[in-house]
Amino acid sequence: MYRHIKQPELLPYGKIREDLFRPLSGLTRKYLFAIIAPILVILIGGYAWATQLRYGMGVTGLQRPVFWGFYIVDFVFWIGISHAGTLISAILRLTDAGWRKPITRAAEAITVFALMIGGMFPIIHLGRAWYFYWLMPYPNSRLLWPNFRSPLLWDLTAICAYVTGSVIFLYLPLIPDMAQLAEHNTPWRAKLYHVLSLGWTGSDTEWHALERAMKLMAGIILAVAISVHTIVAWDFAMAIAPMWHSTIFGPYFVVGAIFSGLAGLMIVMAAIRKLMGLELYLTRHHFNNLAKLLLLMSILWLYFTMAEHLTVWYGNDPSEMVVFGARTRARFSTLFWLMVFVNFVVPFVLLGIRRLRNITTGVIASVGILFGMFLERYIIVVPTLSNPRLPAASSTSYAPSWVEIAITAATFAGMIVLYLIFSKLFPIIAVWEFKPHPHEDEI
Amino acid sequence: MASTMYLLSEFRDKEAVAGAIHSLRASGVGDSDIDLFSEEPVEFKRGVLDRPSQMSLAAVLGAIVLGGAATAFVRFAQYNYAVNTGGMPTFSFWGTGVITYEMTMLGAVLATFVFFLWESGLIRKRDKTAPVPVVPPECICLRVRCVSGDVVKATAILQESGAISVEKKAPL
Amino acid sequence: MAHRWGMAIDLDRCTGCEACVAACHAENNISISTPEQAATGRTTHWIRVDRYYEGTFPDVKVKYMPVLCQQCDEAPCEPVCPTYATYHNPEGLNVQVYNRCVGTFYCANNCPYTVRYFNWFDPVWPEPMQLQHNPDVAVRMAGVMEKCTFCIQRIKRGKDEAATAGQPVADGDIQPACVQSCPAEAMVFGDLNDPESKVSRMAESSRATRLLEELGTKPKVFYLERGR
Repeated sequence: MYRHIKQPELLPYGKIREDLFRPLSGLTRKYLFAIIAPILVILIGGYAWATQLRYGMGVTGLQRPVFWGFYIVDFVFWIGISHAGTLISAILRLTDAGWRKPITRAAEAITVFALMIGGMFPIIHLGRAWYFYWLMPYPNSRLLWPNFRSPLLWDLTAICAYVTGSVIFLYLPLIPDMAQLAEHNTPWRAKLYHVLSLGWTGSDTEWHALERAMKLMAGIILAVAISVHTIVAWDFAMAIAPMWHSTIFGPYFVVGAIFSGLAGLMIVMAAIRKLMGLELYLTRHHFNNLAKLLLLMSILWLYFTMAEHLTVWYGNDPSEMVVFGARTRARFSTLFWLMVFVNFVVPFVLLGIRRLRNITTGVIASVGILFGMFLERYIIVVPTLSNPRLPAASSTSYAPSWVEIAITAATFAGMIVLYLIFSKLFPIIAVWEFKPHPHEDEI
Repeated sequence: MASTMYLLSEFRDKEAVAGAIHSLRASGVGDSDIDLFSEEPVEFKRGVLDRPSQMSLAAVLGAIVLGGAATAFVRFAQYNYAVNTGGMPTFSFWGTGVITYEMTMLGAVLATFVFFLWESGLIRKRDKTAPVPVVPPECICLRVRCVSGDVVKATAILQESGAISVEKKAPL
Repeated sequence: MAHRWGMAIDLDRCTGCEACVAACHAENNISISTPEQAATGRTTHWIRVDRYYEGTFPDVKVKYMPVLCQQCDEAPCEPVCPTYATYHNPEGLNVQVYNRCVGTFYCANNCPYTVRYFNWFDPVWPEPMQLQHNPDVAVRMAGVMEKCTFCIQRIKRGKDEAATAGQPVADGDIQPACVQSCPAEAMVFGDLNDPESKVSRMAESSRATRLLEELGTKPKVFYLERGR
């Protein structure tokens, strides 16, 4: 259905270079509006966080026994979004899937930014956030090391490894593009690109090293990405709380992360296609492939959700059944079935029926999936904590306060701002990877 | 002592480059004297211009070193401030194996990156005097370093192999 | 031989009067919450009296259960703390070090008894109650977790006084505030390592159970209740 569109691989190189480098220069009024509005939202979020630091965690909706709420949901959500880049880049790079080429950089950028945002939440949710560095192992006057047996330390090391890896993974293929951008540019940009490209000349030694490094990094980053979300899941699964203490949580969270990451990627790609006029580069072919992947992940997600809940239902453990009941037929049931609807039913119809599958429906399904995955994390975190093992201690009244909502909104705004800045500084499609390769054998 | 000269030649065809490299090596020019410049990676069949790499080995070594060091450090720290928490062993595979894994992976990442910077020559002190050709789009430039006495012979080889242009340049 | 402090609570004697709760507040400088805070689940009581109802109206029986930190031997709250703010001391107490706490909430989430309390704001006391603070106990700042300590300040003083007198700590010399104030004498505190102590004998009783024992947390609080 997309074959009548001219294949981007056949476009002349000059045009590709021009098309992809053009959005970098010049500030339009539209761009300024697009960046200032989210900055205002971030400022409100900053004010909310300042309030929380000044007065204490009491300004949130948290209460005994629901000690984790929106912040932990945000944390899991954003770390989940960050899995977009790794899946698309690493898996498709390792399998040499040609259609990945215009998508990889957009996806890798999502990874880095989502990690930066998600990585803030373990700090934001702390009772005494100004002492977050006490989790780091450094020689200190307290003559004390952190407790490496705590899953929070596992989390810290995993996220450090993942941030480092994904920044390098984003940076490496940027080097040749920046070397090109350093020529014929405004003075400060030329200087920036020149420094960042480390004096890249395009010699075959450099190309060999780059390609080898990317292959290796793709393998490593894949292993790290899977472990990161597994460890996020283990923050819950290591606790003996009902319906958290589950062996399936690791893979369940990884699947959910990739699922929401792909949905995020779909939205971002549709946005840059429209805003930057890249219709020739991000074609229906790419969206079609992404939609199929999304459909696959939706089915996998349903499988895991079913497996998790059926095991609990059949096992009929009293304390777990209380949580199961709260999720499926009591206080949280509306959210639960809404989640199943937007995470499975909607994508299955919109993306599964070929006649309905196009960019617009893909974006609609993706927005639903992001919402559904946010709900999923909420449904994992809150019902369990609301129903502890001693029934007398249970609670039914957690709801996020304006502080939590403002900070959550600020993270979405933060993603937009970071992405807008990135797209002004660097070409959102890897030019050297994407342009026609007359010297490659397979094309 | 004969002075060093650089020959910058431009090609449009990958096979021609391969032929040129083959003939140059037959005439005694070493691999380290030949450099290709292009705007995208150029891949040859094995045996044309192999650039052997130890990057995988470096990654594995980096992984072992950082993973081992981190594990040793965790063990030291746990015993240095030995505290009973929940009856868990002070140091055990199950308690901190995840950290060993993550640091092993971080070691591989860092080693790969550092080794990339080294192997690509980006941070290594390079021959600053070598002229770098400006590569027109869809062209491949071949730079050959030779002593001034060999310039004529090498130029002939390049032209025979199908170079569009050959330029002689002295070191900067 | 090291001490191993434990408690026994005779539920058949407990009347649910909550004198223990009031005594604990006074002894341990626990902040007093307003009705609004109580409505949003922000109360702090290191010991609380849980109520369970049996039967249907009008034939209802209320059962009371004072729940405090169970001082588990294998406490789930301890290993999850990244900063060692909670750990096991040599006398088997589950200790909370306020100054080390950064407030990750993880310990509270992993406590099956929900007996950990958080300082949502800096603590306040209605006038003139700020005048009766116990000088032996630190006041906790906003952002840290706290919980029952088995009145560790009383344990320390009891050991010091015994050492000054040159005698071992006698059974019953050390009493946490809740035990001291229980009018029904339902609560007993003592050394579980001393087989002759009252708490050891009560722990051996056929009526004794431990709360959520099946989780393997090995609590040191024993509940005594006749079989039904």
